[in-house]
Order: sequence, then structure tokens, then C-alpha cells
Amino acid sequence: MATRTGDRWTAEEPVADNRRLADDTQPRRRAKSRMDEWMEVEFKFGGSKIKRKAPALILLGLPGLVPLFFMLPALITLNSSTFAGSVDDTLGTGAELNLLLCLLVTPMVTLTGQRWFVPLRRWYGIMMAASAIGDATAAGITDNFVGGVFGRLAGHTFTLAGFLMVMLVVPLLLTSNPWAQRKLGRYWKRLQRITYAIWALLAVHLMLLEGFGFERGDNGSGFAGDGDPIFHQRLYQYSACSLFLLVLRLPPVRSWIAARQREGRNWLVWVTIVPLFALFLFGLIFIVNEEIFKGVDSLLERPSAE
Amino acid sequence: MSETYAAGGQEQTTAGKVILVVSSSLAAVLVIAGLIYAMGTGQRHLAALAAAGCEPGLSPSGLQCTTAQMLTSQYMAIMAPASQQLNADVAAYTASERHHLAAAKAALTAEVAAEQALDTSLAGIQFPPAIAPIAKALVRADQARARLTAEQARSSSLTQLRSFSHRVQVASAAVQTEMKLILTALDSPPTAG
Repeated sequence: MATRTGDRWTAEEPVADNRRLADDTQPRRRAKSRMDEWMEVEFKFGGSKIKRKAPALILLGLPGLVPLFFMLPALITLNSSTFAGSVDDTLGTGAELNLLLCLLVTPMVTLTGQRWFVPLRRWYGIMMAASAIGDATAAGITDNFVGGVFGRLAGHTFTLAGFLMVMLVVPLLLTSNPWAQRKLGRYWKRLQRITYAIWALLAVHLMLLEGFGFERGDNGSGFAGDGDPIFHQRLYQYSACSLFLLVLRLPPVRSWIAARQREGRNWLVWVTIVPLFALFLFGLIFIVNEEIFKGVDSLLERPSAE
Repeated sequence: MSETYAAGGQEQTTAGKVILVVSSSLAAVLVIAGLIYAMGTGQRHLAALAAAGCEPGLSPSGLQCTTAQMLTSQYMAIMAPASQQLNADVAAYTASERHHLAAAKAALTAEVAAEQALDTSLAGIQFPPAIAPIAKALVRADQARARLTAEQARSSSLTQLRSFSHRVQVASAAVQTEMKLILTALDSPPTAG
């Protein structure tokens, strides 16, 4: 997963390659940080040598598998009621989490100057695709909407947005390998920017699904037994996470960060982004909460639809 | 040329600073508001439970109680796809019961599998004491129907197959009665206990 494509993958990073950035930020990005060098050091494990970053990447990549793991018992036993009851929440939320983690890699490179974890972007992207396709497949089979498979997949505006996302995920998944990257050349990078369209469509999907308000009494989105409908409103969670991911991608912001890093005032960067990162974590915690809550119920084949 | 370039870079850096300060301030306000809101979680939780009506200690997910809304959602999440599957199996059986023994038997076998899956899922729901006996009766009735359907699926001729029709209808009616009872019980909010 991690070491095979290594640095070549990072060189093709679509966002980091913004030409409008000042040229003097480029050598800094390409230079290896001390952490990168430390991660490249090999150690002996079971008679073979592996790089330090390999186990670190495996550990950091494991959460990407969790949504699929949650649905595994229902898949093995072909439990249609578990699929119908909670696949949207388990795999759908899992796909959202994987997308957010995939999008988190670039801001973390910007902030830390480290690149050893960049292969996680591809991993989380693949896991996002697997979860999204699994969600759509199960929804197409088990949902109760009328109109056959297509009706179940795209018969409502919010499902149509979700269906479009899955359609866009397919080419990304098919080209997420070194061979496709070689064959597509410079077009590969442009193709990978479809990720941003998926990110935007997720906002549309959640707006149509949840609306802009939250639960009051028996109405609205964000139902939760813990009395915190605002925190459980998915559009709010998504927005809280996306603000950080979006701002750290803007060329002027990256220029400002690069300038402060050149001045050796990285602390100023961290102080400035702390509220954004805290908001990101705030949103992410409740998405993870949702994933674990619904996922465990799916794992036990005791689907909850609340 | 380089001065123009430097000026452009300076402008961009300033714009970046403004964007970061504005967005970070907004984020700080939202985080503080979120923390203040979170401090009232306990009271809101109790209010929500009191409003919805609940049965303490029943939630499988670690909450303090299962509200009527949660219970209904759980029940419907199981029943809706199971009913859909059973209807499809019954339709497949009806289409072949008079002329295609193998197809009819296959439809009945699928029906038995769907009924057994439904029973397992229903048994997994922790119903409040007022509804639990009805749920058990529903599972028992459905198990009886599944046993009868399995017996029917072992028929060696179309005539023998159809000879079960009346008994299956009676067993299905028993299941329908229990389903109606459970829905009525779920519709009326349980008393807090």
C-alpha cells in the first residue's frame, strides 16, 4: 500500500502543484524534512529490511478499512435487513470519512513540510471508492424506493447526487495505479481533480438529505438520543471539516504559510490555524461517532435506523 | 519584472493572511459556541427522553434508554426489507405453483430463508416489557409459518405442494395479526419506567 509508489505518487500531487504559488516555495516542498529522512531509514523485521514509514503507514491506513469491516458479517450472511437498515450510515458515512482523510493529506503536507504520509492519500481514496460503491450497490438492491434499481439509486434528488458521486469515483478508482498514471501522463493529474467535484457533490447530497436546519421536536435532521441534534446534523459536520480543508488549499493562504515557514515562524502558522483545526476535529469526532455507533450495530447485524 | 512579481507575491501573501484570520476567527467562534452548547447536553438529553417517552436500560447502543421513535425505526428497518423479500418470494411461488414444481420449491426455500432471517433480526431487538410478549408471539408465529413452508418445500408433486395452501394461509394470517398488534403497540407511546 505505502511504499510501492512512494515519492513518485507525491510528485503527481494535484493540489501541491499550483503554479500560481511563488516559485521559491517549490524547493522547500521537495526537500526532505528530518522526519521524512527518519522514516526512510530501514530496520530489520523477520529477516527482511523494511522502512520505518511502512508500519506507520499501515497503522494510519487501517481506519480506512473499518467501514468495510463493519459490513462484513452482513455480507457473509447476506443479511438484507442489515443492509437495508444501516448500509447508508455505515458505508456512506465511511466513504465520507475516507474522503475527508484523503483530503486531509495535502493540508498536513503544507503545515508540516513532511511527505512520508502522502501515500495515505491514495489509500484513503481507494477506500472511499470501495465504501461508496458498496453503499450504492447495497442501496440499489435493498432500498425501498420505487422504480427498480435506477429508481432506488437515483429516484430522489439526494440519491441522484450520491449516484453521480459514485459514477465519478469509478474513473478515479480505475486510474489509481502506477500503470494508469504512466499511461495518462499529464492528464492523470487533471483526472484526479474529479475528487474536488466529488467533495462538492457530497455537500449537495447532504444539503438535499439533511437540509440546512436541525431537529426540533420530531422534525428535522440530526436525530440523536443524546439530545445534541446540532452535532449530529451531517451537513454541519461536513462543513466544519471542510472549512479547514478548503482554506489550507487556497493559493494565497499557502503562500502566506510558505512565507512564514521561510522566516522560521512556523509557530505563527500553527497558532493561526488552531481554531480551524479544532473545528475540523469537532466535526470529525461526530462523524467518527456516527460511524462507530451505526457500524457496531451493523457488525452485530442489529441495524439501527435512528 | 521581478519587482512586479514580488509585489504580486506580497499581495497574495497579504490576501492569504486576511483569509486565514477571517476563517480562523469564524472557526474560533463556532468552536466556542459548540463547547457552550455541549455543556447543556445532559439537560437536553433528559428533556429529549422525557418528550419522546423512554424505557430505561433497553438501548443496545449504550444510551440510557430507547425512545419510542428509536424502537419504531429499528423495527421498521427490519420489517420493511423483509416484507419486500417475502412478497417477492410469494409472487414467485404463485407464478409457478401450478406448472413448475422445481421453481415453486425454490421460491418456497427462499421464503423460508427470508422468514428465518426475519426471526433472527426480530429476536435481536430489545423490546420494552409491554411489547416484548407481542414480539415473542410474532417470532413464534413466523417460526411456525417457516416450518410449514419448509415442509411444503419438500413436496414431491404439485398436488402435494398445493395441499398446504390453506394451512399456510392460516399461519400467514396469524403472523399478520401479530404484526398489526406490534405496530399498534409501537404507535402508542410507552410509559416511562
